[in-house]
Amino acid sequence: MKGYNFAYLDEQTKRMIRRAVLKAVAIPGHQIPFASREMPLPYGWGTGGIQVTASIIGPDDVLKVIDQGADDTTNAVSIRGFFARTAGVATTTHTSEASVIQTRHRIPEVPLTEDQVIVYQVPMPEPLYRLEPSRAATKRRHALAEYGEMHVKLYEDITRFGRVAVAYDHPVMVNGRYLMSPSPIPAFDNPKLDHMPALQLFGAGREKRIYAVPPYTAVRSLDFEDHPFHPGRADGVCALCGAADTYLDEILVSDQGDKMFACSDSDFCEQNREALR
Amino acid sequence: MNFLEARDLCTNFGRIRALDHVSLGLRRHEILAIVGESGSGKTTLLNTLAGRLTPDSGDVLFDRGAGLAPISELGELGLRQLQRAQWGFIQQDPRQALRLDITAGGNIGERLMAAGNRNYGDIRAEAARWLAAVEIDPARLDDLPKFFSGGMLQRLQIAATLVTGPELVFMDEPTGGLDVSVQARILDLIRGLVRKLGLAVVLVTHDIGVARLLADRLIVMRHGRIVETGLTDQVLDDPHHEYTQLLVSSVLPA
Repeated sequence: MKGYNFAYLDEQTKRMIRRAVLKAVAIPGHQIPFASREMPLPYGWGTGGIQVTASIIGPDDVLKVIDQGADDTTNAVSIRGFFARTAGVATTTHTSEASVIQTRHRIPEVPLTEDQVIVYQVPMPEPLYRLEPSRAATKRRHALAEYGEMHVKLYEDITRFGRVAVAYDHPVMVNGRYLMSPSPIPAFDNPKLDHMPALQLFGAGREKRIYAVPPYTAVRSLDFEDHPFHPGRADGVCALCGAADTYLDEILVSDQGDKMFACSDSDFCEQNREALR
Repeated sequence: MNFLEARDLCTNFGRIRALDHVSLGLRRHEILAIVGESGSGKTTLLNTLAGRLTPDSGDVLFDRGAGLAPISELGELGLRQLQRAQWGFIQQDPRQALRLDITAGGNIGERLMAAGNRNYGDIRAEAARWLAAVEIDPARLDDLPKFFSGGMLQRLQIAATLVTGPELVFMDEPTGGLDVSVQARILDLIRGLVRKLGLAVVLVTHDIGVARLLADRLIVMRHGRIVETGLTDQVLDDPHHEYTQLLVSSVLPA
């Protein structure tokens, strides 16, 4: 596109972000501050993810963008279009064909490989922020690895509700050292974080933080010995493809309140339906 | 053999000398009371001993099993580990130490979880045991402390502090702000637990009666200086320094 640098950001900015990414990869789960730029989309729509993607993408990459698992929602379509125009890269909706995947709130159902990078859009990178509002205090907690409070929260959930009451953004320990927010992915996706062959990068634009999980890194969801972590899933099968082991969206289909379940990963669902045809 | 020692502590707050060359020692299983009027530096001394305040000069030393060593050499991480496992701190206002929107069980369990306990059932059982030990009905395990009375809150703070089995506990006016009958029962509870568990205690109080009831030894402070020290009964029955005499004679006859 004329008048713009490749992938929108100027090269100095990309270098600054790449430095933050390298540092993040070197210290798995640790949040690295970076000088987040204004992007041509509002905070909360993926300004962190889009900056990370812009810094790592090359002309030969194939990009896939998903929003809540789907390739065809506004956020996914416009970010995909943004990079097609500003970087001229090839785009795809097929998980296995992509080399860079930018995602909001999901990890694709198809297992990722060593040749892929997944970039998460993160609204709130600090896992302790609901317990401790001061960023200075949470940094100290991370430095001293003082994570007792997070377990107090889980203890309270089990005491009051009989189970851990967070269905998404369930906190994880990375490499046995740092407590990390996995971004608001459903707890169902948490096990996929563990020892994933693909590089995982997390970008929080408004909060100006980047963090990472390198390939094959141990990621453990917080739990108790006698109340093990439970990846939640709606009890049903996909009404479109019949899959019984995927993460499901519940969709209202009439004014009378009729509902159906469908795979949240639209690409996976489509492939399944094609295979059945 | 001392296991906590202060050597020549000095701290200034602007022009005010809060601690003026203070030295003291504490043995295992010993209860030491620091008495004095408001502004005499007793709370500053307590916070300095507990590692919550760094003195301008002087050292606090503690024996972790390998002889006395300055706590300033532990580093922040080492000090925090000491404070949350081997030491305890009981504040005057339990509302500052407890989380009022977390159940009583969660409050007691916090120190256990910080120490690495990851078994929900064990944490709960331990919390219930400690509620009983501080004479709160274990049925209130899942109640929020904001619905507890002042005396119950103080009991809960004691349970939440002692649950990890500390060997040294610092107490800052543990019965201040409670009415007299509640005060007596809390003192009774503290005295029983301290003896049973063999704790060493450094206690700050302005109430001579509390010191007489609990302490083996007494330190009298004034203007940041220790003016008199000795066995509790000895100091209170035969005060030498004129300020101690004034302090003892100011107690209303029962």
